[in-house]
Amino acid sequence: MADPAIAAKRIAAFWGGAFMVGMFGTAWVLKSTGILAQPWGFAVMLLPMLLLIPMIRASEAMQRETGCASPAAQRYNRRMLVASFAYAAGLGGALLLFNGQTVAKPVAALLALLPTLPVLAMIWAMARYVIEETDEYLRARTVHAALVATGMLLAVATFWGFLTTFGVAPNVPMWAAVPVWCIGLGVGHLVGKVRGL
Amino acid sequence: MRNRLKVLRAERDWSQQDLAERLEVSRQSVNAIETGKYDPSLPLAFRIADLFGLSIEEIFLRD
Repeated sequence: MADPAIAAKRIAAFWGGAFMVGMFGTAWVLKSTGILAQPWGFAVMLLPMLLLIPMIRASEAMQRETGCASPAAQRYNRRMLVASFAYAAGLGGALLLFNGQTVAKPVAALLALLPTLPVLAMIWAMARYVIEETDEYLRARTVHAALVATGMLLAVATFWGFLTTFGVAPNVPMWAAVPVWCIGLGVGHLVGKVRGL
Repeated sequence: MRNRLKVLRAERDWSQQDLAERLEVSRQSVNAIETGKYDPSLPLAFRIADLFGLSIEEIFLRD
């Protein structure tokens, strides 16, 4: 009989892959067909986001099988799921209202808040996880990964900034900081695993 | 830091999961402490010592 932990890891990897393929595949189809340029085009992106639900369920099953599940991690997953849908809705709504229209700067600033607030909720969820996690080893692992992510973000931002200064690379919107940090968090967990933390 | 957790656990016929449940930590925590990948905090070390009815120095050994 197959090891349940390995089976759970495979299922989690499958849903993780399905989510990525779903998001990028839908974005590519919408862009190539011109649907993404439509005011309502972004709403279609909510459909592949539904794959987040089985992905998180599979991830929690994997955590249980590999012995690293905790109530704090479960709360973190739920909060991130809600914030992710709020982010997609906020971004879609902001683009829909902003699309092709000239709006006053205070209104534009309010529109910018729509996708920002759910990201603030994600940052809050990450902070709450570290506060609420009672398992000190799991907490130390996450803090280690967060330090790697922060270091990586600072390094990438500094290098990219100078590339921009010297005209080598284009400007990148500041909101890219959060996805870069999240990639760094994944790298941090991987580094921790390789180093045996 | 070395420790005698694996031996103490085996003497009681406890699995890592059994010990994790008694300590109210994850199984990965027990594994990380047992294999020396992670040194527990003083409060957790006291909880481990209390569970086995030993002193910390009888479980955790200097390198």
